[in-house]
Amino acid sequence: MSATAIPNPRRPRLRSPLWAEARAALILVAPFLFLLLVAGVIPMLYGIYISLEEPGGGYGISAYGRIINDFRFWDTFIHILTTLLVWIPLMMVGVVGLALLVYNSPGRYGSGMRFIYFMPGALAGIANIMLWLFLLNPGDSPLDPLWDFMGYTTINQVAHPSHMPWILASILFLQGAGTWLVIVNGGLNGINEEVMEAATVDGAGKVSMAWRIQLPIIRPWIGYMALLNVAYGFQLFIEIQVLGAVTSGMISPQWSPNQLSYTYAFQVLDRPAAAAMAVILLGISLTIGLIVIERSGLFKDADAM
Amino acid sequence: MTSKFDTAHHAGQHWSVGRLVRVGTLALVAVVFAVPIVTFMLMSMRREDEFGNIPGGIYSLEGLSLDNVARNLDIILTFNNGLFTTWLSNSMIIAVAATTLAVLSAIPAGYAIAKLRFPGRSVLRFVTLLTMVMPNTVLVIPLFLEVNAVGKVFPMFSIGQLWPVIVIMAFYPFGVYLAYIHFLTTLPRELIEAARIDGLSDVSIFFRIAAPLAKQAVALVVFFSFVANWTNYFLPLVLLPLAKQQPVSIGLQHLIAASPIFDPTKSAGLAVSLWMPQLALATTITIIPLFILFIAAQRFLARGAVVGAVKG
Repeated sequence: MSATAIPNPRRPRLRSPLWAEARAALILVAPFLFLLLVAGVIPMLYGIYISLEEPGGGYGISAYGRIINDFRFWDTFIHILTTLLVWIPLMMVGVVGLALLVYNSPGRYGSGMRFIYFMPGALAGIANIMLWLFLLNPGDSPLDPLWDFMGYTTINQVAHPSHMPWILASILFLQGAGTWLVIVNGGLNGINEEVMEAATVDGAGKVSMAWRIQLPIIRPWIGYMALLNVAYGFQLFIEIQVLGAVTSGMISPQWSPNQLSYTYAFQVLDRPAAAAMAVILLGISLTIGLIVIERSGLFKDADAM
Repeated sequence: MTSKFDTAHHAGQHWSVGRLVRVGTLALVAVVFAVPIVTFMLMSMRREDEFGNIPGGIYSLEGLSLDNVARNLDIILTFNNGLFTTWLSNSMIIAVAATTLAVLSAIPAGYAIAKLRFPGRSVLRFVTLLTMVMPNTVLVIPLFLEVNAVGKVFPMFSIGQLWPVIVIMAFYPFGVYLAYIHFLTTLPRELIEAARIDGLSDVSIFFRIAAPLAKQAVALVVFFSFVANWTNYFLPLVLLPLAKQQPVSIGLQHLIAASPIFDPTKSAGLAVSLWMPQLALATTITIIPLFILFIAAQRFLARGAVVGAVKG
C-alpha cells in the first residue's frame, strides 16, 4: 500500500495530545458508527437471538433443526453450488479478459467499450430480470434463432428448472461483468507507468506484457471478485423469485436459501427458523469475508498516518 | 490515462494482427452486451398488438415510432391511477436521502480511519471491511425482525415507514473504504501536520482541508451508493408492504405480475393492458437516472481510486 511508500519519520510531538486526536476521531466516525450498529451489528446479534427462541418459550437450537430438516434445505444449497460452478469461471475469464483488452485499448475506443459493457449493470435487480424475461420468452426475443434451434416455443421450456444454472449464470454475468470490469480496470490503471515503459523498451509484446505484468498485478482483485461473487451467489433471491413467478410454478418458490428463509418469515410465520437460515447464510458470508480480508492481501492495514 | 506509453502506441496506427484481434473481440463482446438492451429499449417504441408478429422481426426498425412511445407512456402512467410516478418518486426520495447520508457518514469516517490514531481504529477498520464484503441481502431478514421490534416503540421507524429503509441503505461500508483509500493515497501527512502547527483542531482539519480535497471520493461514493440504493429490491420488499410506498424496483415486479404475457388470465375484461412494449418502456425509464449518473461519473470512475490500495 502506498502508505508504506512514504517513510514515516518520528511524529513531531508539538501538537495536541493523543486524546484530542482520539476525540476528534470519535466525532468523525460517530455517524458511521451509529449506522454500523443499527444496520450491521445489532441485526446480526438480534438475528442470532431470535434464532435461539424456542416455540414453547425459553432458548435453544431447535429452530436450526427445523430449518435443516426442511426437505428443501439441502436442495437450495445444491442449486446455488451448481449455479456457481457455471457462473464463477465464466465471470473470471470474461472480466479479466475484457479488462486486459480494455486496458490495452486506451482512448475513446476503450472507454466507449467499457460503457457498453457497463450498460446491463445499470439494469441491476428487477430491471435486469425484465430484460431477461424479454430474452427468454420465445416469440419476439432477439434470441429467437437460438430458441428455434433448440425447439423451444414457450418460456416454460426455456426457463426449465434444469436450465437454471445456465440462465442464472448468464443473467449474473451480463449484469455484473461491467461493474467488475470498472474495478479490475481501475487496478490496471494503477500500474506504474514506468514499469510498462520499461517493459516496452525491453521489447515485450502486448500479449506478453498482459500475461507477465498486468495479470499478476491484478491477481488479488481476481481472487477478491471470485470470492465476493461466491458470497453473492448464496444470496440469490430476486432473479429466481421472478423467474418462478412467470413460469407457472415450475420452479420451486423455495429454490434458493434466501427464498426458504423468506418463506419461513412470511408464510410459515416461523421467525426463529427464518432467523436460523439467515444466521447460517451469515456464517457463510462472514467466513468468505474473513478469507477475502486475510488472504487476498488487498486490505493490509497501513498504520494511521 | 494518457501517458507516453499510450501516445507511442497511437503514433503507430498500424493494424497488426494483435490489434485487429483485440479491437475485434471487444467489438464482438460489445454486440453481445448491447443487442439485448438495444432491442429491449426499442421494444418500447412498438405496439403490443405486434407481439409475436413484429413486421420484419425483432431486429427490424419497421413499426418503431415516437407515437407508440407516447401511447405506451400513457398506459404506464394511468396504471392504477398513476402508481408508476409514485414509485419513481419513492425511489428518488429513498435513493437521494440514503446516498446523502451515506456520503455524510462515510467521508469523515474514512478520513478518521486513514489519518487519525484512536483506540479501536483497527477493529473499526476490520468490521468495516467485513461488512463491506458481505452481500447486502444477508441481513435483510434479521433487519426485518429488528425493525419490527423497534417499530413497536418508535412508530416512525416501523414497518411501512421510509425511514428504516433510508437509514439501513445509508449504512455503506464500501463508501468508508473508498474514502479511506482516497485519503490514504492522496492526502500528504505534511499538510495535516502543518495545519496542526497552525493550531487547527483535527475536526477542523477534516472540514477545512481534507473534505474540500475529497471530490473524487465523494463522486465514487455517490455513484456506487446511488446505484445500489436505486436497484435495491429485497430490503424494501420486506420493509414496505404497501404498493404505494414501494420504490420502482418493486413496482416493476407489480407490472410484470399485472401483465398477461406470462399469465393470460390477467387480460380478461381489460381494454388496455401491459404488454412487452409498456414493460420495456417502464424499465427504460427506471434506468435513465443511472445512465445519466454513469456518464457524469465517467471521469471519476476511470481514475481508478476504487482500487488505490493495490498501488505501490
